[in-house]
Amino acid sequence: MKRSPVALVVLLFGTMLYTSTVLAQVDLSGDWALASDTIDAGNGRLADEYAGIPLNPQGRAAGLAWTADVTQELHRQCNPWSPDYIITGLWGGRFTAVRDRFGTVHGWNVTISVYDRLPMTIWTDGRAPPSPEALHTYSGFTSGKWEGDTLVTMTTHLKDNFIERNGTPGSAQRTFQMFMTPHGDQMAITGVIRDPVYLSAPWVIAATLARRVDRGATVNNRVLYCMPAELEAVSDGYHSATELPDAIQKLKMYETEHYNVPLDAVMGGPQTQYPEFRKRILSEGYKPPTAYCKVNCCEFGSRVCSTKTRASSVKH
Amino acid sequence: MRRGALAGVLLFGSTILWAQQPGPRGAAAVPPSARDQAPWDPSGYWVSLITQNWRHRMVVVGPGDYIGVPINAEAKKVADAWNPAKAAGKECEAHGGGIVMDLPERLHISWQDANDLRVDTDTAMQTRMLHFLPTRGGAPGGVQAAPTSRPPTAMAPTRQGYSVARWVLPGGGQRFGPAGRAPHSHYGSIEVTTDHLLPGLLRTNGIPYSAGAKKTEWWDLRKEATGEQWLVISTTLVDPQYLTKPYVYDPIFQKEADGAKWDPTACSLTP
Repeated sequence: MKRSPVALVVLLFGTMLYTSTVLAQVDLSGDWALASDTIDAGNGRLADEYAGIPLNPQGRAAGLAWTADVTQELHRQCNPWSPDYIITGLWGGRFTAVRDRFGTVHGWNVTISVYDRLPMTIWTDGRAPPSPEALHTYSGFTSGKWEGDTLVTMTTHLKDNFIERNGTPGSAQRTFQMFMTPHGDQMAITGVIRDPVYLSAPWVIAATLARRVDRGATVNNRVLYCMPAELEAVSDGYHSATELPDAIQKLKMYETEHYNVPLDAVMGGPQTQYPEFRKRILSEGYKPPTAYCKVNCCEFGSRVCSTKTRASSVKH
Repeated sequence: MRRGALAGVLLFGSTILWAQQPGPRGAAAVPPSARDQAPWDPSGYWVSLITQNWRHRMVVVGPGDYIGVPINAEAKKVADAWNPAKAAGKECEAHGGGIVMDLPERLHISWQDANDLRVDTDTAMQTRMLHFLPTRGGAPGGVQAAPTSRPPTAMAPTRQGYSVARWVLPGGGQRFGPAGRAPHSHYGSIEVTTDHLLPGLLRTNGIPYSAGAKKTEWWDLRKEATGEQWLVISTTLVDPQYLTKPYVYDPIFQKEADGAKWDPTACSLTP
């Protein structure tokens, strides 16, 4: 059979273009674990601690009405976090390319082995987002495009949820944007959460992930499922199962009582993000704590600070 | 007709391929400066956004509060012995190169010359100088060789240390035109390595870092179509003497229009 030279050239040229397109994407494949320090992401923010989060009054009220005791409610125990948990949580993720039968990459699946963040897919093939009226879910819909070596993503169609584990609220109208730039065995991720319901400014957060080569326990092939179960009620002395935003107990917050952080700082707001806010509270008589730290004193999992040390009351 | 189509296809293809080649050989004789290489301009005024780890960055933490820093037993011993009442003269140790970019502050970044980027802070009035290498970046997402430029021999350690920087550009830095300038792309990162540091404090409650500490930073610009710009610096501090593993933190800076809010203040350990 005689083949047309034009067809061969077009085939060759098409192959070259296809190959160059595929190679233009950075390979994110692999297991990535959180490498950044673990104060907020590891131990998590304390209850009612919103400093640095640009909450508006509605967001603050919704946050204060939340209590950690909801985790004892069977129908809420297994609620997962949203995609922003890749920065605010501890787990990082496994990135797997979504390919068609020709090998073309259409997106990236991001999963973790624990149940508390559902899998998400970052579609890089330019597909249109669902209708605004489409179902909003915990993972939402995420599209992405490469800008140089940075994958820029946008997540919409999110369900009402929390943007921090201390009950900081996130509405169904919020969006989550990510900038992901691999630097060798590290990946710098910047997240931008915008929420017209609960935030008065974008909340910009960042983390560094590190590529795991040992496929260890935090990111692995096993999937851990959540099984709701009755829990024994616990009390931290600050919260109860039902709370009103203006409850007196709320004014005795961890941050204020343990660390002398002023109340208006703990309540958050865009002004708390900037250096001038620090200068203001320092000028208003802030006094650093003088007693030894008793709550969340050392790095997550650290063996350096023992329980005995944390409980000590040595004063300078 | 068919030959014409064939010629057209070949011409089109060769044009694309030619466009991906480095510039003419003559251009290599004069390496572009770091300022000419810049896919984006870091100069200007930036303000830190304290959106994470607020308490440990915005107020003075109390004794024994070491959360977030992977200290070893030796560091804990040093920190436990820290007494702010006896720290006169050590105020600037809390603003050293190990932690300076993580503090609440404004930056004024400017090109001192074509290959040296100057970074001034208003808080504690510190100055860093990033000495750029005349290299052309690396492969996309790939591991790059560490910068090899060394400080002058017998250089004494300083508060901000000696920083070597380079642009790391997508595609191995082969997007430059004949004049050595980046013609279109505004993508790329700055890799900075810093050593020759004086010992200092990671926190004002006495967590130390040693003279052997070394810092690697990746500076990434996050730019919105709306004009918002954030500079995010993924930082890894290694200190064999005091840290059990690398200390990684990610300060965020927001671009400001001018220096209207620039407010220089002296080094301080306490309010």
